[in-house]
Amino acid sequence: MSSAGGSNPEYVTARVRARKSVLYGDEEYRKLIRMGPAEISRFMEESDYETEINALGARHSGVDLIEYALNRNLAKQFDDLLRWADGRLYDLIARYLRKFDAWNVKTVIRGIYSEADREAISDDLIRAGEFDEELLDQLLDAPSIEDVVDRLSGTIFGPGLEDAYDDYEETGVLVPLENAIDRTYYEHLLEDLVVDEATQQYREFLEAEIDFRNARNALRLAQSGADIDPAEYYIDGGSLFSASELATLAQNRDELVTAIRESKYGDDLSAALDELETAESLINFERALDIALLEYTDALGHVFPLSITPIASYILAKEREVDNIRAIARGREAGLSEEQIEQELVIL
Amino acid sequence: MFEALLQQTQSAAPAIEPPAAAALALGLAAFGAGYAERGIGAAAMGAIAEDDSLFVNGLILTVLPETLVILALVGFFLI
Repeated sequence: MSSAGGSNPEYVTARVRARKSVLYGDEEYRKLIRMGPAEISRFMEESDYETEINALGARHSGVDLIEYALNRNLAKQFDDLLRWADGRLYDLIARYLRKFDAWNVKTVIRGIYSEADREAISDDLIRAGEFDEELLDQLLDAPSIEDVVDRLSGTIFGPGLEDAYDDYEETGVLVPLENAIDRTYYEHLLEDLVVDEATQQYREFLEAEIDFRNARNALRLAQSGADIDPAEYYIDGGSLFSASELATLAQNRDELVTAIRESKYGDDLSAALDELETAESLINFERALDIALLEYTDALGHVFPLSITPIASYILAKEREVDNIRAIARGREAGLSEEQIEQELVIL
Repeated sequence: MFEALLQQTQSAAPAIEPPAAAALALGLAAFGAGYAERGIGAAAMGAIAEDDSLFVNGLILTVLPETLVILALVGFFLI
């Protein structure tokens, strides 16, 4: 469990492929859509989520049970990945999984901001990233946001957060802090990545993710018509837009759509873009972005079997599974129809 | 004097005797097999950890590169 020494892609890939084969497929989702929350948790108990449902079954019920079990299982799966991997592979996996560190820091800050109690914040953490239990507990115990920022000073989020904290004190809103966390995460994603034949693909995947994130932010800004400078939210490292391009494009939705259509992602997204031009809602487009990214990574794993890419493909597939089950459970709870829920799902 | 020296070199034995060369070849083949098994063994252990029923398949695939050594052993006895 360190970044020194040899790398062991054979071992991790073999385990990951086995895990990927037990993820829910079309068939299971079709069954799940027809179930209520209680049935869904029973269904989960009979599959891969048995331990989590049993452990949490006494304390929670209904959709909460499903939600917490999903989070906990996700954390367990990704912790396993980090535990198995050695050397360079560990570094590559940790890069992507820091997403959950970012999520956890944001959750803690939001929790303290809204004065939620420790238990409630702790339940919402996804303990999958690189932070260990000790650091997370320290963060949970922090009495104020300033203390959280202090306790993170040794991590990658430290410098960015410290700068943003002054802004926060001036304005009193969380946006600068959250923005700083996101940017730190994305900046470290591509930093010092040694690019050879095998990681070239990984880099393209990360770039695609950043590009899609930028496109999504720009579209949301264009849609809301809010007077916010898009450059504030621009994430460096993508290959599709530069900061200034994005700033002009965000003013005009049609031009933005045309720009995406002419890019290298145009083919994958053409159906989604057609829909976007006619429809008012962004939801379908964002879903199409997710599907495009998932399709892209699904093919990734087959070119260099002994590299990071099959693992990245598994991580994404697992995340989608968790999102899908959550969407089904929440949708059923809210009384949505089966067609509506189906529209929310991201299935290949 | 030079002639004598030249004659001497011509009649000298090769740097590596045939049995020694065969032993070297066998050793290199075994080394190659070991290297191949490193990766296969790691992958097999991963697969078995996820699914016990893959034990037999894993074992067979792990020892497959041993055929390299057996073929080299044939060469060894032909010398």
